[in-house]
Amino acid sequence: MSIENQTFTEKYDLLGCIQCGRCTGGCPVTVRAELNVRHFVDQAYDEGKLDELARLAEIWDCTACHTCAVRCPKGLKPLEVLIGLRSMIVESGKVEPTVRDALQSVLLEGNPWEKARAARTDWMEGLDVKVAEEGQEVENLIFTCCTIAYDPRVQVVAKNMVKLLNQAGIDYAFLPEDESCCGSEVFTIGEEGLFEMLVEDNTEYLNNFNAGRIVTLSPHCYTTYKTHFPDIRIPLYHYTQLLDELVQEGSLSWKGELQKKIVYHDPCYLGKQGGIYDEPRRLLKSIPGVELLEFDRRRERSLCCEGGGGKMWIESQSTEERLADTRIKDARELGADIVAAACPFCVLTLEDAMKGLGYEEEMRVAEITELLGELIEA
Amino acid sequence: MGKILVLAEHRQGVLRDISYEMMAIAPKLAEEMGAELETLLIGSGMDEMAKELSGYGAKVNVIDDPVFENFNAEKYQKALSALIDNMKPAVLIAPHTAQGVDFMPSLAVEKKLPLVAEAIDLTYEDSTLKATRTMYSGKVNATVAFKPADTCLVTIREGAVEAPEPAAAGDVEKIESPLKEDLSYRQFVEYIEAEVGDVDITQSEILVAVGRGLKEDKNLPDIEELAMAIKADIAGSRAATDAGWIPHDRQVGTSGKTVKPKLYLALGISGAFQHVAGMKGAKTVVAVNKDPEAPIFNVADYAIVDDMFKVVPALKEKLKEMKG
Repeated sequence: MSIENQTFTEKYDLLGCIQCGRCTGGCPVTVRAELNVRHFVDQAYDEGKLDELARLAEIWDCTACHTCAVRCPKGLKPLEVLIGLRSMIVESGKVEPTVRDALQSVLLEGNPWEKARAARTDWMEGLDVKVAEEGQEVENLIFTCCTIAYDPRVQVVAKNMVKLLNQAGIDYAFLPEDESCCGSEVFTIGEEGLFEMLVEDNTEYLNNFNAGRIVTLSPHCYTTYKTHFPDIRIPLYHYTQLLDELVQEGSLSWKGELQKKIVYHDPCYLGKQGGIYDEPRRLLKSIPGVELLEFDRRRERSLCCEGGGGKMWIESQSTEERLADTRIKDARELGADIVAAACPFCVLTLEDAMKGLGYEEEMRVAEITELLGELIEA
Repeated sequence: MGKILVLAEHRQGVLRDISYEMMAIAPKLAEEMGAELETLLIGSGMDEMAKELSGYGAKVNVIDDPVFENFNAEKYQKALSALIDNMKPAVLIAPHTAQGVDFMPSLAVEKKLPLVAEAIDLTYEDSTLKATRTMYSGKVNATVAFKPADTCLVTIREGAVEAPEPAAAGDVEKIESPLKEDLSYRQFVEYIEAEVGDVDITQSEILVAVGRGLKEDKNLPDIEELAMAIKADIAGSRAATDAGWIPHDRQVGTSGKTVKPKLYLALGISGAFQHVAGMKGAKTVVAVNKDPEAPIFNVADYAIVDDMFKVVPALKEKLKEMKG
């Protein structure tokens, strides 16, 4: 049976659902929005109802955190039903202008931030950084990510990676400016055609490099490539795996210490979706002086920051407290000095929440590479 | 020579502004061409509107027929096609509106006549009809010449010129509807009034945007006063809308609205990448922030590094002085 002939029910395996409700029961968004994902899975059997369902505003509240998929006893991905409904809206062109512009920017410039492709590697200016050439043999090929490449707040992730990799003295090269968006947000927004194009183009582009492995700086790119790009021939790593390896083998060590209580926030795309929980924690523990705290909601139960699922371009109608605010309050209650994350979106949403709550003077939100980068300069 | 025919537009029994605005351009052109100026009204129950339109001194041709009770591009095109054959106007001017763009291009194709869309002015020089159009988001004006034709078609941009005051009264002549056949490809279904919403900040010319620096909503009236003084609308960063100081539909940024005002005054906004992406189309950005490192200053044309609560009163004082 070809994919084109699949019905909505077949595509999302709706008949596999037993309506147990574990998806909605665990969905973090339910505390602030109307979204009931179980209900959508139930109603979507009826093809005649799909249009009506797709018009409900709450389908855009899903952050694609995958909690529902992790909890589903039948191994289904309830969130993808919502993505399927979003696709219908995207197909009809009735999306928010901000979403439309982000998608168009991916198509034209290879990034969702409406930035010129030519400016993608501007962050490298003044740095001693190795850039890959096509066909070049390199052990670690670094995939930067659109957000890290363009957003000045998280460009520090890439800049610190350069410092860390130079320090470790390993064979690496960053992808040049023709690196294109991994499509993580394109997929969750539901632009199926554009996503298919990215899968095809990026697979061909990346396979052209003679690399030992591809190391992504963002967990969104890591998980998206792992899940949806079956034909990438080069093994995929997230940077926390690489740095952890370098610390374990003694290629990286820290000067000075950090007498701080750090709580680690598991990014949904790295933990629940990527299965990487221990490497970031080992990295933080390797810093002398650090006391590592744990959230109650951690690892596969980690509370989503609401940065994914296209939420950077579409606002919830809810005026209830943002999950990032809840997270920061939890961290403060634990007595954490630093909330550490290994994802650009988590850093942006959590830092915004911290500032909004007025905790700027007493707390800090940091990407792990920021903390490590400071420790090789000390 | 010849005749200039201006098609007026109306909705729910009222002439639209563009109908008057076209009367700022057409009489001047008629004089240059030495042409006779007439207007055209198509609808049902048109007496009141015809009287009003006749106040501009030009003869009003009225097609008053129940078949035109509701706008239908297909019917308009048929009627205009017949009128072009009968009246042979040298120029047919129509509004560049949702209605006008629905039939003028296909009329041009049907009659094989030249069309200039969205003109802001028309002139007649060296025996040639010329139209002015804006290009590059209004940065450049282009003058385009019509090739010689029996009838030249033009649509005029809304709000490009000010409507003139009415002058002498003109005649009203009812003409028979040239529409003979029953057209049914398009059917009028229902008229839905747009919801009366709040200010649409994407259309604002001047915006005063506040961020986390506002601190609390009791500080807002001061900012509102400043905004009123410079005829600005108020907007906010995500932090300001989250805090409930500013309505959510006035949020600027990648998850809010993309704005492009002539002036954007950013007060206490740090300028996160996601906010800046929503206001980078602003022509002039003035930013006020205590933190000299705030990223908003990277996109600001004028930077004031100081407490917004000191700057706002000083600005208000200065404005009072300038007006007083």
